[in-house]
Amino acid sequence: MLKALWHIIRRELRAFGKRPIFLMIMFVAPLGFLWMFTSLMQAGLPTKLPAALVDEDDTHVTRQLTRILGTMEETQFVMQTHSFTEARQAMQRGEVYAIFRIPKGTTEAALTQRQPVVSFYTNDTYYVAASLLMKDMRKMGEMAGLAMTRETMRARGFRDDQIMGTIQPIVVESHPLGNPHLNYSVVLSNLIVPGLLMLIIMLTTSYSLGNEWKRGRQRHLYEMAGGRTWVAVVGKLLPQTVLYTIIFWLIDLVFYSYLDFPCHCGIPRMMLWGFLSVVASQGFGLVLFELFPGQMRMAMSACSLLGVMQFSLAGFSFPVSAMDLPFQWLSNIFPLHHYFLIYVNQALNGYSVSYVWPHVIALVAFVVAPLLLTWRLTDAFLHKEYRA
Amino acid sequence: MRKPKFPILHVWLDELSELVKDEGILIFVILLPLAYPLLYAMIYNTETQRELPICVVDDNMSARSRDFIRRVDATSEVSVAAHCTSMAEAQELLRRRDVYGILRIPREFDQRLWRGQQAVVGLYSDLTSMLYYKVEYLAVINVAQELNRNIKVMEHQQHTTAREESLARWPIRFDEVKMYNPAGGFAAFLIPPVLMLILQQALCLGVGMSMGRSRERFRGLVIPPTKHYKNTLAIVLGKALVHFLLFLLMAFYMAVCVTRWFGLPQLGHFWDLLGFFVPYLAACTFMAMFWSSFIYRREDCILLFVFMSIPLLFLSGVSWPGASIPPLWQAVASVFPSTWGLNAYVRIQGMGASLGDCRTEIIALWLLAGIYFLLTCFAYMFEIRRSVGRTILE
Repeated sequence: MLKALWHIIRRELRAFGKRPIFLMIMFVAPLGFLWMFTSLMQAGLPTKLPAALVDEDDTHVTRQLTRILGTMEETQFVMQTHSFTEARQAMQRGEVYAIFRIPKGTTEAALTQRQPVVSFYTNDTYYVAASLLMKDMRKMGEMAGLAMTRETMRARGFRDDQIMGTIQPIVVESHPLGNPHLNYSVVLSNLIVPGLLMLIIMLTTSYSLGNEWKRGRQRHLYEMAGGRTWVAVVGKLLPQTVLYTIIFWLIDLVFYSYLDFPCHCGIPRMMLWGFLSVVASQGFGLVLFELFPGQMRMAMSACSLLGVMQFSLAGFSFPVSAMDLPFQWLSNIFPLHHYFLIYVNQALNGYSVSYVWPHVIALVAFVVAPLLLTWRLTDAFLHKEYRA
Repeated sequence: MRKPKFPILHVWLDELSELVKDEGILIFVILLPLAYPLLYAMIYNTETQRELPICVVDDNMSARSRDFIRRVDATSEVSVAAHCTSMAEAQELLRRRDVYGILRIPREFDQRLWRGQQAVVGLYSDLTSMLYYKVEYLAVINVAQELNRNIKVMEHQQHTTAREESLARWPIRFDEVKMYNPAGGFAAFLIPPVLMLILQQALCLGVGMSMGRSRERFRGLVIPPTKHYKNTLAIVLGKALVHFLLFLLMAFYMAVCVTRWFGLPQLGHFWDLLGFFVPYLAACTFMAMFWSSFIYRREDCILLFVFMSIPLLFLSGVSWPGASIPPLWQAVASVFPSTWGLNAYVRIQGMGASLGDCRTEIIALWLLAGIYFLLTCFAYMFEIRRSVGRTILE
C-alpha cells in the first residue's frame, strides 16, 4: 500500500514538471502576492493624503488656521484656491480626497463673536482615505474651538491645568488592542496573503484531480492505488500539501520574523495553524470535487465563485457581525474565516486557544468532510468520464 | 447554416453559437455577471456596523459616570451589552467575543471633574475588524465632546444669554459633509468598483474558456482551420464583438438595475457611462483575448484569472488610497484596464463627473484597448500561420 502511495506521488511529481502553469500558480503567485501586499502597504497607515483648501476669506486669521491644519499627519494640502467649484472639480477628477472650506467673512464673524461656520467635505467613495481625513479634521475643528477659549481664559489669568480641566474635562484614551499603531498592513496582509494562498490551494486541488479525468487517466490512477480511493487521493494531494505548507511557513516567517508583525503566540504555533489551514483548504476543494465528481470545470467554477467570496466573508474590512444573518452563517463554510479568527485570537491578541476551539474544530472538520463523500469519488473513478 | 458574405459576421455567428451551447462558458459570462453583483450587494447591504456590543467597567459609580454610559448606549454605533465589575471580567468577555470593546471609567472620574481636573476614559477596541475601532471611537468621542461642552458651559463659565452659551460651546462651528456617500456606508463605497471588476474578470474567464475550448478541439489552434478564418482583422473583431456586446448589456444591467435595486449612487449620465463603457470593455475584451492566447486548456484560465481579482482591487487605489501606492505597483497596475476603469466608473457614477473630468482614465483605456488589440492581432496572425502550415501538411 505504501508502495502504491509512493508510486502515485512520484507520478504526480513528474506531472508537475510537465505543467509550467501549475508551478507558476503554486510558487510564483503566492510569493509574488506576499511581496506585493507587504510592499504596497509598507507605510502601515496612509499619510499625507491630498486635500484642497478653499480660503475665501484669506486673512491672517484663516492663514493661521490653515497652517495648523497643514501640520496634521494625514492631510496635505496640494491645492489652494478661492473657488469651491474648482476644488469640487479637482475632487471629481480624483486629485483630492477632501475639501476644507473657509467661507468669506469667517474672520469678521470670529472677531465679532458671531460663530463662524467652517465646512469640511470628504469624498466618501474613497472610504479609507475619507475616514482618515475626517478624523484629522474633526480633531482640528475641536482643537480650533478649544484654542479660542484657551486664549480667553489665559487672558483672565487661569493656570494651564485649570484651563484644560475646563475646555477638555473628559479625555478619551483609545487603545486599539494588539495593533496600537493601527497598522493596516498587519491585519490586511495577514488576511489577504494566506487567503489568496488558500484560494489557490482550493483551485489546484480540484484542478489536479480533475486533470486525471480530462486526460482519461483516472482508471489508471485507481488501479495504481490498488482500488483504494483514499490512496489515490492522498497520493495525488500529498506533494501539494508539503509544498503549500512550506510556502505558508515562509509567509509566516516573513510576517512575524522579518517584518516583525505582532505574533503573541510564537511562530511555531502560527505554523501549526498554517498547516491546518492548508489541509482544510484541500479538504474544501476536495468536497467540491466530490460534489461534481469527475467534472473538473464545474468543481473549479464552484471553487472560484465561492473562493473569491471568502475575502468578503472573512470580516476584516466589513465585520461579519454587521452582515445579515444568512451571510453570518455562510461565512462558516470558508476555511479563511476560521483561520482569520484563530489568527486574531492567537497572534494578534495572544489569548488562549480555548477561546477559539470551535474554529479549530471547524478547520479539522474541513479535513474530515471529504471522507463522508468518498463513495462519490469511487463511483467517479469507475464510471464517470470527462465531459467537455 | 447559411454563409454570410462577410467573414466578420461569420466569425461572430460561430462564436455566438459556440458560446450559447457551452454551459461552462455560460456560467462565467451569464451567471457570474448576473448573480455576483446581487450577492455582493447583499453582503454589504447593511452599509455599516450598528449597535456593536461593548461592555463597561464603571469604577466610579456616580450619577455622572452613569450618565456617560447611558449616552454611549444611546448612540447608534454601539450598545452596552454588559456591565463588569473589574477589567479582568471585561477582558474575559472580550476574549469570548461576546463584546468587541471595553469602555473603562476610572475611579475618580466624577471627583476629578468637580475639582476642575481632566479625567481620562479608556477605550479598548478589538481589532478583528478595523470598523469596530472606528465605530467605538466615534461613539465615545462624540459623547465625550458633548459632555465636555456641557461641563464647560454649565460648570465653569457662567453665561447670561442663550446666544452667549451657544458661542461658548461652539466658538467656531464645523460643518462635516460626506460627499457622494452621505451615510458613509460600505456598499456605496465598495460595490461600484467591484461591479467593474466583475466585468473584467468575467470577460477574462469567458474569453479564456472559449479559447481553451477551441485549442482543445482544433488540436492546439485557437481558430478552426476553415477558409473563413484567414482574415486576422475579421477573426479578432468578430470574436471580440460577441463578448463586447454581451458585456455592454451586462454593464448596463449593473449600472442601472443593480445600482437602482440597492440604492447605490447613480449620478452618471447615459452618454458619459456609454463613453466610458465602450473603451473599458474594449480594453478588457482585447486584454482577455491576448492573455488567453497563452492558454492551452480551458480550465487553465480559471487558475490564472480567478485570484487576480483581489490584488487588482487593491492596486486600483479605490480601497487603499492611490496616493499611497508605491510607484512600482502603480506601474504594474496601469497595465490592467480595471485600474483605470474602477476609478473612472466611481467618478462618473458615484460623483457625477463628466467624461472630461476623467480624461486621463478614458485616454488610458483607449490606449490600452489599442495596444491589446494590436497584440491580439499579432497573436492571431501567428495562429493563422500555424493553421495554414498545418493544413498544408495535411
